[in-house]
Amino acid sequence: MKTMQLTVNGKAHTVHYDDKTMLIDILRDKLDLTGTKNGCGHGACGACTVIMNGEAVRSCIIKAAKAEGKEILTIEGICEGNKLHPIQEAFIQAGAIQCGFCTAGYIMTLHALFTKSPDATDEEIKKVLEKHLCRCTGYETIWEGAKLARRMMKEKITL
Amino acid sequence: MDLQCIGKSILRTDAYDKVTGKAQFVADIKLPRMLYARILRAEYAHAKILSIDTSEAEKMPGVMKVVTAQGCDILFGACIKDQPPLATDKVRHAGEGVAAVIAETERQAEEATKKIKVNYEPLPYVIDPLEAIAEGAPIIHERNHEYFRVPGFPPVKGTNIFHHYKLRKGDIEKGFKEAEITVEENFYYPLLSHVQMEPHGCISYWDSPESVRIIASTQAPFIVREIVAQMFHIPMANIKVEALYLGGGFGGKSDVVIEPMCAYISRFVPGYPVKLILTRKEAFTSSLVGRGMRGKIKVGAKKDGKLVAIEASLYYADGAYGDTGCNVVTASGFVATGPYEYEHCKIDCYGVYTNTPPVGAYRGYGHPEAQFMSERIMNILAEKLGMSQQELMRKNFLCDGKVNAIGQIIRPGNGNLYKCLDEVEQALYEVPKPQEDENFVYGRGLAAFMKTPMMIPHASSGAILRMCEDGSFNISISGIEMGQGCQTVLSQIAAETLKVPLEKIHISKHVDTQHSPYEWQTVGSITTYRAGNAIIQACEKAIQKMLETVAAIYHRHIGDLKYEGEFITSKSDLNLRFETKKLAQAYLSPDGHGVGEQIVTGGSYLIRNVQFPHPETGQGNCAGTWTFACEGAEVKINKHTGDVDITHLAVAIDLGRTLNPSLARIQMIGGMMMGYGATLTEELIFDDRGKIKNANLNQYKIPKLSQMPEKFTVKFVETPDEAGPFGARCIAEHPVIGIPPAVLNAIKDATGVDLFEIPVKAKVLLEKMGGKK
Repeated sequence: MKTMQLTVNGKAHTVHYDDKTMLIDILRDKLDLTGTKNGCGHGACGACTVIMNGEAVRSCIIKAAKAEGKEILTIEGICEGNKLHPIQEAFIQAGAIQCGFCTAGYIMTLHALFTKSPDATDEEIKKVLEKHLCRCTGYETIWEGAKLARRMMKEKITL
Repeated sequence: MDLQCIGKSILRTDAYDKVTGKAQFVADIKLPRMLYARILRAEYAHAKILSIDTSEAEKMPGVMKVVTAQGCDILFGACIKDQPPLATDKVRHAGEGVAAVIAETERQAEEATKKIKVNYEPLPYVIDPLEAIAEGAPIIHERNHEYFRVPGFPPVKGTNIFHHYKLRKGDIEKGFKEAEITVEENFYYPLLSHVQMEPHGCISYWDSPESVRIIASTQAPFIVREIVAQMFHIPMANIKVEALYLGGGFGGKSDVVIEPMCAYISRFVPGYPVKLILTRKEAFTSSLVGRGMRGKIKVGAKKDGKLVAIEASLYYADGAYGDTGCNVVTASGFVATGPYEYEHCKIDCYGVYTNTPPVGAYRGYGHPEAQFMSERIMNILAEKLGMSQQELMRKNFLCDGKVNAIGQIIRPGNGNLYKCLDEVEQALYEVPKPQEDENFVYGRGLAAFMKTPMMIPHASSGAILRMCEDGSFNISISGIEMGQGCQTVLSQIAAETLKVPLEKIHISKHVDTQHSPYEWQTVGSITTYRAGNAIIQACEKAIQKMLETVAAIYHRHIGDLKYEGEFITSKSDLNLRFETKKLAQAYLSPDGHGVGEQIVTGGSYLIRNVQFPHPETGQGNCAGTWTFACEGAEVKINKHTGDVDITHLAVAIDLGRTLNPSLARIQMIGGMMMGYGATLTEELIFDDRGKIKNANLNQYKIPKLSQMPEKFTVKFVETPDEAGPFGARCIAEHPVIGIPPAVLNAIKDATGVDLFEIPVKAKVLLEKMGGKK
């Protein structure tokens, strides 16, 4: 076991890991941040998406060692107290949720995109959403939710 | 009726939990002293187990116990008891559990499974149901005919057929003699994986030899309870099965899946919770799969298009164990005609053991397979008759007074197919079809279907209502929230019935068989219907109780009082305005004594008079309620590659009453996209050793966002159901059913090519298109 430091949702943590530990294991098992979901374990579904130094990454295929010293943001870290982030609000308003297992991954992917490019084009949004799988919704409301989130973040609309 | 909540697009009541990551799924649960299990899986599709050596594995770090089922005589199942908790004398599909390691960490358990040595004698295996019934096929269950089974699932001794459902109506020979035109075709609907985003999980914990707690990703906690009680001969009351939020079910978490195995292995480490979460690969190879049908259909009609006779045989590759698939087989027989009247029917549906993972419920429950055939054959027959498919459909639709294959007389309250077809027709044909151009050819296709929730005749739903002192209500039900939105819609039903704002209703989020009311299982799209009616009953009882108490307090006749939600008023005394919340825990009168009792009520609902099918004719009042719908598709086909692009999917469903328009719409679109996947990209592929080759999400391709058609049409026809809550019907599984035939009919319209198999392969289509030119 090795030891390293990383920052998760603004808080510094010291964690033990070895060569087989993945970032998702650190988040879910060691830090109890279970909002990040494991849907496939091979980087195909996007449910485990978190933000590492500003980039959306698949935490199930990121070796823990790669996260050393990094700033990680998870679904638990985007609310301010009880106040939801605009992307979360947009997903609720657009009805972009069914079983909820893929939801956090989508929200984190959009968070990374809109933080970097508040004016992301429809094509840019589609490109990031394409890397995620949802079996329930048929995607229509996720697409609507993403566009609503862009507008809400840009125009600072709160509900 | 002036409705406040029903019919409104109320936002999901579980949305906050889900956007914040707070919604709990089984994998998120950690308990003190928890151990972890991993399962050694069979590498062979069919093999005798000669010996299992666990000695090396037992010495591995962190290992608490290595469990096998050697010497175990438990066989479980609700209808057919044919499955051991882990393989005993042989393995019957690749991916079957052979041994379990329980260790302090998941990784230790995984490492130790690699040290288990199993000595196998490989046997010939069979994947295809027609090969499995052929002369000389390897027999998968030598004791097929000896297993305990409930009546209605007759096996054929010495074969792989474990269930034969036969349906006979009229006189089939006479029917085909009367027919002036007949058509006959063979069809194939492959095995599919449900691909719920949440892989299956289970935590099992024996706190005494007679008492177990199970937390599972299940649509059916009460079935898990029943099976576990039977396996270990313990009282059901001692078993606590808990279900949390479910990350998608689609039938693949109904009945029992991994729970019996988890209960079995955890019994070897009493006092320790044992957690097993399947990997995605295991969700493919070692849970339930769906469909897997080879079928033949022959229909006869008069020249004017009147259908007279249908003969169909459907063979299901139901996998290594038959219990979860047997009722799917029967259900498909009920609807093999499609939603049309035939005077003469001969339908045979076979559940066949194959060396594949067991088939279970899968969104649609036999209805998609059967009506893939019926709706394609209508298209082919229409062409032969020289009439449009719509005309042929309209001539034969089940409607008031018509008799379906199982002998039920259809009533207007069952819904209106004509209106559904009108809507889809309008959506598809409102603009002219694009002209064929240099690269593309275009087509449009239709399908109609019907669906009933397959169930045992006494399948019921319960509800428990408790009023709180501030006038809010706790309502417990045991319908599982798996994305379909039952929590939201049931809240609407309760708020409407109790005439209180939605915020005053709290529907239980989790289910626990020791505290929640009985619910058969969350299957068949029936939770809104059945649990909704149970809630209405509980609410009405509560209202009655409140009125009785107020009548006693004021010494008035109950008929003088009016329940208005937060108040009870008097018709004769305008000054009487009693706050109902004061009644929650019995009423404290101004002079200091208690009146009445707690407002705690229960409701339960069962669709009356549902029967098992007659053993000889297969007929009877076996369907408790019907839902009718039509679907349509527009396609654009690349003439050079054969690639099919679905540009428009449409559905019109007679849902009785739209309880929540946006939730109903998302359910329709999600279902149509699932149908899209089945039509174009999804199938389980087996390698030359009988193992699933594409057991991952890169190779088993479910639809992605970019595959969304340019257009969705979702129309709701509202012919109120006679018994559904506020007139609503079952709708959740339905939109998946008509998409494959509608798309294949559209392909036919575009290219003239008749296809009989899904998924459609561009190469095959291109070849056939070439052949047509």
